[in-house]
Amino acid sequence: MIQTKTRSKTILLGTAALLTGLAGSAMAQEGELVMINWLGGAQGEMMTKLQEGFEAKYPDVTVRNVIPQAGGDARGGIRAVLMGGEQADLLINTWPAFRAELIEAGLILPLNDSYASTDWGDKLGESWQALSTVNGENYGVTYTFGDRSGIWYRTDTMATAGITPPETYEDFISGFATLNDADITPISVPAKVWAHAEWFESLLLRTAGADYMTRLASGEASWTDDEVKVALQKWQEILAANCCDDGNTMLALDWDISVDAALKTGDAAYVLMGMWLNTRAKQEYGDTPGEDFDIFQFPAFGMGHDDESMVDAKEFNMLSSVENREAAEAFISYMLTADAAGIMAEYGLASPSTEVDPAIYDPVIQRSVDEVTSAKKLQFVLGDLLPGDLGSEYRVALQRFLQDPSNETIDTITAQLATVAEGAY
Amino acid sequence: MGGPNGPPKSSLPIKVKKQLSDTQAAWFLLTPLLIFFAISVVYPVIETIRLSFYDIRGLAPEKFFGWGNYLKLFSDPNFLTSLKVTFIWAISATFFSVTIGWGLAMMCSLNPRKTLVFRVMIFAAYGVSEAVSGFMWLGIYRPDYGLLNGILEGIGLSGWTQPWLGNPSTALGAVIVAYVWTQVGLPLMTCFASIQSIPKNLFEAAYIDGAKPASVMRYIIAPLSMPGVRVAIFINLLNSLKAFDLIFILTGGGPVRSTETVGFFMYRESMLNFKLGYGAASTVILLIAVLIVSIPLIMKRTGDAK
Repeated sequence: MIQTKTRSKTILLGTAALLTGLAGSAMAQEGELVMINWLGGAQGEMMTKLQEGFEAKYPDVTVRNVIPQAGGDARGGIRAVLMGGEQADLLINTWPAFRAELIEAGLILPLNDSYASTDWGDKLGESWQALSTVNGENYGVTYTFGDRSGIWYRTDTMATAGITPPETYEDFISGFATLNDADITPISVPAKVWAHAEWFESLLLRTAGADYMTRLASGEASWTDDEVKVALQKWQEILAANCCDDGNTMLALDWDISVDAALKTGDAAYVLMGMWLNTRAKQEYGDTPGEDFDIFQFPAFGMGHDDESMVDAKEFNMLSSVENREAAEAFISYMLTADAAGIMAEYGLASPSTEVDPAIYDPVIQRSVDEVTSAKKLQFVLGDLLPGDLGSEYRVALQRFLQDPSNETIDTITAQLATVAEGAY
Repeated sequence: MGGPNGPPKSSLPIKVKKQLSDTQAAWFLLTPLLIFFAISVVYPVIETIRLSFYDIRGLAPEKFFGWGNYLKLFSDPNFLTSLKVTFIWAISATFFSVTIGWGLAMMCSLNPRKTLVFRVMIFAAYGVSEAVSGFMWLGIYRPDYGLLNGILEGIGLSGWTQPWLGNPSTALGAVIVAYVWTQVGLPLMTCFASIQSIPKNLFEAAYIDGAKPASVMRYIIAPLSMPGVRVAIFINLLNSLKAFDLIFILTGGGPVRSTETVGFFMYRESMLNFKLGYGAASTVILLIAVLIVSIPLIMKRTGDAK
C-alpha cells in the first residue's frame, strides 16, 4: 500500500518537480531546503559548514536537516524516515545498493534533465557520472569520494623497521618479517564488524579486476567462481606470512582500535580503510599528513589489474517528495564549487569536481586523488553494492575465513555465499 | 439575621452531587491509561503480528506470505543458533544475577546499617544504562590494552590472556559476565527487602536458642526470602530476553554470530537487512517466549494476591 501511494505520489511530484525544474533556472532560490542528513562526527560538522556556506551565498534559502535516528547502519533510520512519509528534498547517500532500492520504490528522481540544464556534467567526469547511473538514468551527484585501495602507515614506524612502502606484492610480503622482527604487527585487520572485508575486496580487485567485481555484485557471477577463491588464497598467503594478529584477536578489533594501532601508537604498520582516516589523524592525533603519516596504493600483483582503484563516494539523491527543486539544484551546484571543495579539504576529504585545484589538498589527499583520477577503472566498495542479507552473510563468512583460513573453509564459505546470493536478488 | 439560637441555617439550595459507582470510577480513571496502552503497546503488537505474515524487503511493496516467514525461520540455521544463544544467555544471566544478588542480600541483612553504602553502590550499576556499561566493559575486554588482560599479565597469568570478545568460545561468557554486573543490583534489592520483612522475633528466638549466623541464614533467611527471589527471577529473566544494548556494543552479535540472541537477530533482519516481515516473525517468537515465561508467574502472583 505504501508502495502504491508512493508511486502515485512520485508521478505527481515528479511531474510537478520536472515542470518547476524546467522553469527553475530563471527563478530565484528561496524558501526551505530539507535534507535527510545522517552524517555524524567530523563529516557531520563539515556538512554543517557547507550548509552555512550555501546559506551565505543564498540568503533566502534556509537549510533544514531531517536526522534519521538509528544506531549502526544509517539506512535503517533513513528507511524509517521515508516510510513515515517525511517530506525532504535531498538525501545524502553512500550505498549503491540502497540507491537501487530507492529507485525501485520510486522514491528518488532521475537527474538527467538537471544535468542537462546545469553545469554538473562539465564538473563531474564520465566515470563519476557512470557510478550514479542506473539503466541509462543518472540518479545522483557525487560530492566527495575516497580512495579505498590506499594503505595507511606512520612514517616513523616504517623508519623504525627500516623499510619503505612496498610497490609489489613480493615486496609487501617480504617486509612482514622485518616488521615482525621490529616487534611491529605488519597489518592490523579489524574484523569485528565490517572492516576486514576491505582486504578481501582489494585482493579481489587486483586478482580479478573491477569488471568481475561488478558482475559479482550484481549477481551475474557466482561466489563459487575461481576468481573469488584465488583472492581468498592470496589472503591465505598473506596470513601465512605472519601479517597479522591471530584470528580471534582480529575478530575482537573494532576499526578504531586498528587505526589507533597503525596511525597513533605505531603498534601496527598498515591499515586499509577509507579517507576519513585522514580527518582522524589530523584532527584527533594532531598529525601532519605527508610527514607523520602517509598512504600507498595496494601493491601491484602483476595479474592485469594493477591500474584499477576501489573507491567510495557520497552523493546527493533528489527525493520524489522534493518541494524546492530550485534550492536543491542550487545546493548541489554549490557542492561542486571550489569554495565547497575548500571546506571539504579542511576536513581531509576530496571533491570530484573538475573546478577544484588539487593544490588545495594536503599531500595525502593529493596522492589519493592522483591515484583515483589516473586509474583505468574505478570500482565501488563491494560490501556497499551487495543486497542487505548477502552483505551481512558476506562479512560473517570472511570472519569464518580469518578464524580458520583453510581450503576447506574457502570451499564452505563460498558455497554458503552462493546459496545466500541465490535468494538475495 | 442571627437570633438567640445562633446563625440561621443557609437558605441556599443544597446541590445534590451525583456519585460515580465503583465501576464507573474505575473506567473513568483507567480510560486514559488504557488509551495510551492501546496506542503504545497493543497497536504495535498487532501490527507486528500482521507484518509477520508479509514478505517485505527494503522499501519494496509488501507481499502476503502466509506462514512463510515462520516456516523459513525454523529452517534458518542463523535463527536456530540465535534461539540456542538466547536460551543459554537468559538462563545463565538470570541464574548468576539472582544467585549473586541473593547471596549478597543475605550477607547484607546481617548488618543492614553498615552495608548501606555497599548496597547503594551495587544497585547503582543497575541504574547505569547498558550502553554506558557496554563501553566500560569494552575497555576491560580490549585485546591490546584491556584491563582484564593487563591484570592477568600483572599476576603472572599471561597464558590466560586472550581476545575475550573475539574468541567465539569466550565471547558469550564475557558478555554474560558484563550483563550480570549490570543486573545484580535488582535481585540484591528485592531479596534484601524480602529479608527485611521477616518478623524480627524469629531472629531473636533463633539467637536465644544459640543459632549461629550461618544457621540463621540457612534456616530462616534463605527460605523466608523466597518471595523476593521469585520476583528477581521473573524480572531478570524478562530483562535478559529483551537485552540488546550491551550485546550491540560489546560484540555486535559476533564473532561469527556466537552472541546473536533472538533480539539481535530481529534487529539484524529488520534494521540492517530491512526484511521487516521476517524480523517481525522472529519478534513474535520472542513475544511468545516472554509470555510463556511471564503468564504463569503473573497468574501465580495474582492468585497469591487474592
